[in-house]
Amino acid sequence: MKQRPSLRWRVLLVLALAAIVPTIVVGVLAISRARHDVRDEVQRGALAHIRALGAALDGTLQDSRRTVELAASQWADAAGDVKSTQLLVRRLRRDVPVVQALAILDPEGQLLFGDPVPAGVDIGSHSFGGYIGDAVVERGKPVVHMVVQARGRTGELMGVFVATLDLAFVHDAIAAARLGPGAEVVVVDGRGAPVATSAPVPSLAPGDPVVARALASTVEGTLSEGGWVSAYRNLSSYQSLRGVRWAIIHRQPEAEAYALARRTTRDTIVIGAAALALALALGAFFATRLTRPLADLARRADAIAAGQIPDEPAVRGPGEIGTLALSVDEMAKRIAERAELASALARGDRLASVGVMSAQVAHEINNPLTSVLGYAKLLLEDKPEGHPDHDALVLIADEAERMKKIIGGLLEYARAPRPSEPALGTGAAAGTAKPAQVVSHVAALAAPQLKRVRAKLTTEVTTETLLAIEASALQQILFNLVQNAAQAFTHGGAIALTAKPAPGGIATIFAVADDGPGIPVAARTKVFDPFYTTKAPGTGTGLGLAVCKHLVATAGGSIEVGDGPDGRGVEFRVMIPNARE
Amino acid sequence: MRLIPLVLAAACGGEPIAPHPIEFLHTFNPRETELFNTTSAERGLRVDASLVPFARGHQVITEMLRAGAHCPDLIRIDATWLPGLVAAKLLLPPPPALATAGWSAIAKDLAIVGDTVWAVPQSIDGLVVVRLAGTPAPASPSVDDLAKAAAASGLPHPLGVRVDGYWFVPWLRAEGIELAPGTIDDRAVRALREFAGLFGGLAATPPSAGTEAPDELRRWTAHELAYWVTGPWQLADLRDRDQIEVSALAHAPRGGQLLVVPACARQPAEGWRLAQELTSEPVSLIFSDAFATIPTLEAAQAHATPLVQRTLAALGSAERLPRVEVTPLLFDDLNPAVAAVVAGDATPEEAIAGVRRGWHRLGHK
Repeated sequence: MKQRPSLRWRVLLVLALAAIVPTIVVGVLAISRARHDVRDEVQRGALAHIRALGAALDGTLQDSRRTVELAASQWADAAGDVKSTQLLVRRLRRDVPVVQALAILDPEGQLLFGDPVPAGVDIGSHSFGGYIGDAVVERGKPVVHMVVQARGRTGELMGVFVATLDLAFVHDAIAAARLGPGAEVVVVDGRGAPVATSAPVPSLAPGDPVVARALASTVEGTLSEGGWVSAYRNLSSYQSLRGVRWAIIHRQPEAEAYALARRTTRDTIVIGAAALALALALGAFFATRLTRPLADLARRADAIAAGQIPDEPAVRGPGEIGTLALSVDEMAKRIAERAELASALARGDRLASVGVMSAQVAHEINNPLTSVLGYAKLLLEDKPEGHPDHDALVLIADEAERMKKIIGGLLEYARAPRPSEPALGTGAAAGTAKPAQVVSHVAALAAPQLKRVRAKLTTEVTTETLLAIEASALQQILFNLVQNAAQAFTHGGAIALTAKPAPGGIATIFAVADDGPGIPVAARTKVFDPFYTTKAPGTGTGLGLAVCKHLVATAGGSIEVGDGPDGRGVEFRVMIPNARE
Repeated sequence: MRLIPLVLAAACGGEPIAPHPIEFLHTFNPRETELFNTTSAERGLRVDASLVPFARGHQVITEMLRAGAHCPDLIRIDATWLPGLVAAKLLLPPPPALATAGWSAIAKDLAIVGDTVWAVPQSIDGLVVVRLAGTPAPASPSVDDLAKAAAASGLPHPLGVRVDGYWFVPWLRAEGIELAPGTIDDRAVRALREFAGLFGGLAATPPSAGTEAPDELRRWTAHELAYWVTGPWQLADLRDRDQIEVSALAHAPRGGQLLVVPACARQPAEGWRLAQELTSEPVSLIFSDAFATIPTLEAAQAHATPLVQRTLAALGSAERLPRVEVTPLLFDDLNPAVAAVVAGDATPEEAIAGVRRGWHRLGHK
């Protein structure tokens, strides 16, 4: 009994594990994958952003350099022409708006035209034809100085152009950039000092590791440190810039950068929990549904074990459980049959013993009773009606007569042979009874009694098959049944005796039906028991139907009782095996 | 807690651990930088490395060391920059033990200015002639025999040579002129005429500026080049290195890369320690295997790949550039002059005259 809840819980546990483990595994994988993907996307996005910004800065500086180089080359080929120089400078300032100041020097470094050269600008060092210097702050504005050698057609150095480029475009480009929440872009020079930033107050502290990392990097990289996600690109790698040493850094708080990952994690957990709860609910439902038939089966098995055959319907269940339920029911049915058989055998043995004993008692009583009856009749001849003893003698004679009938019935019951081949249709004992003859004979025998109770007997025989039963036995069976029906009437009634082939043609079914008061359902299981009677005291011995059943069983047939036609009265159906041909 | 490693190192007799990362300013290209970063990490070196583009390295380093601010502990420089930095008294000489390490003679020569060793040589380079095995070697290392061999190859433009003053040096020297102010004369005109005459004939018309290296590599891979005048820096990109033969080119320039410690370094000893590590046999062979860099230690050279050893042998007859301050500045005038002549914008006479004036100016400075 203790295993019933255990089984349900075990099934529930298995189903729960089957739901929990995959849900957790899939959830963890999904969260991990989402975090990984988001991290990659954040880093890729930041790198793509600063690449684009870096390329824009590079493009602006390159365009400026190329334009200044072209102007320097043109100037070198026409050196000394003041007008053309003025025109060239005007065009250069117009075409290159980032040029804040411009100086033209001769090869010795003397100013020929334009603005004074800022201090510290090197125009004589090894520079492969020119360079763009590091970002510096002049008058509060970040600038770079660009030195371009003005070489003529032959390659000879004719002068040097020194242009001061306003890096406000860097700030403008950064300010115009669409950044994520909390994100900022910072451009630092080769010493790590901020040149431009998108944030009013840059979060980048001096000596921040990302600055050192950016300036030390080959090209670009990412860094997650101090609660920030940073992507950096060393713009020095732009060879076309001839070595401007600066780096661009994109920073975003981790909380903002990975917000999508957090949302995805939260959603995954919520969805996973919901899926888990649903799975557990379904698991509980299915566990209960799965184990309920088993529990019913267990109860049924317990009842069977206790010797009770449950009246409730058979357990239904899917698949193997259904098969098991059917098997249990079949087992119960077999057990019941066996128990009934054992009971019947025991009862049969008892009845056989009783029969033998009854026969002996009947034999011993029958002779003195015959003497009693004979003497009572002799005395009646001497005591006519009106004699004071006449009635007492009549009573003695009648009771003695009734006792002889009872004894006769007992002797008949005891004399009946034991069934040798009880199986129906598998070879019943050979007999001589012909249904039509037996029915006709029974009708003739019962006629006086039927007439007395004003009952009408109708017969119908639709088979001529020889039956595996002695004609006398069949006659006694049918006569008993007709007589029983007649005794049920007080003011007349109808009795129908029919004989017809049983389905399959291996037996014949006799039916004796009446429209009398019938037999209560509760009593129908007992009517075939010896000495059981529903008749008024003194009107029956209680052996008639027992004898009938005994004779039928002896012949390998069966007898059962049920409602009469149209639900009225009672009907006895006797099935007698046909004789083998 | 920070003292514990120092105490442990001292107790074990090992090298003391620097309190600060070693500041290293280098001119590695991106791929070399990646390998350097990886190697440093693997060997537990605490290095803060910064890249300075080679094209601006001389200028940036000079300005930085003169200013004395943000001074690195170690710098990787081109060998031609050494005289200028020494003359400006911006460097420290290496410790005697390091200065007498087992460098090859060529390597040690790169690190000497006057009679003093000022640097730790990190690699050796210069121009050589590269050809595939099976291609006949020129009759001699001379530029004339190189041209003859190229002409005999039957290919349309079999010679790989770059429009650059550095590549022009062998032709200039073949006329008896050294790369120095005041030496240039009409012989340089002949040399330049001959050099410029290669392009469109034995050498292909030069590509646009900035694409020379990939164009040369493409033509070599397509077997359009029979003889390629180049340096070790490009050998790393070549496949089938076992099939490559290397020949000497007479009067070819020879140089290299050096590691120097500036006078303003905060941790000079750490700088030298990193220099020793970078030039050690294991590390230099890592770089040599990856980039065909020629090591400077004799022991490392002995274990270098055959291609590196063949390149080193070919550079044996090359000649270092003059060890004077202005040498790197000379190319500022020489490069555009060579380009102008090759492009047909100037005659050799006009171009050389301009170079002469420019070098004269440098000489006076």
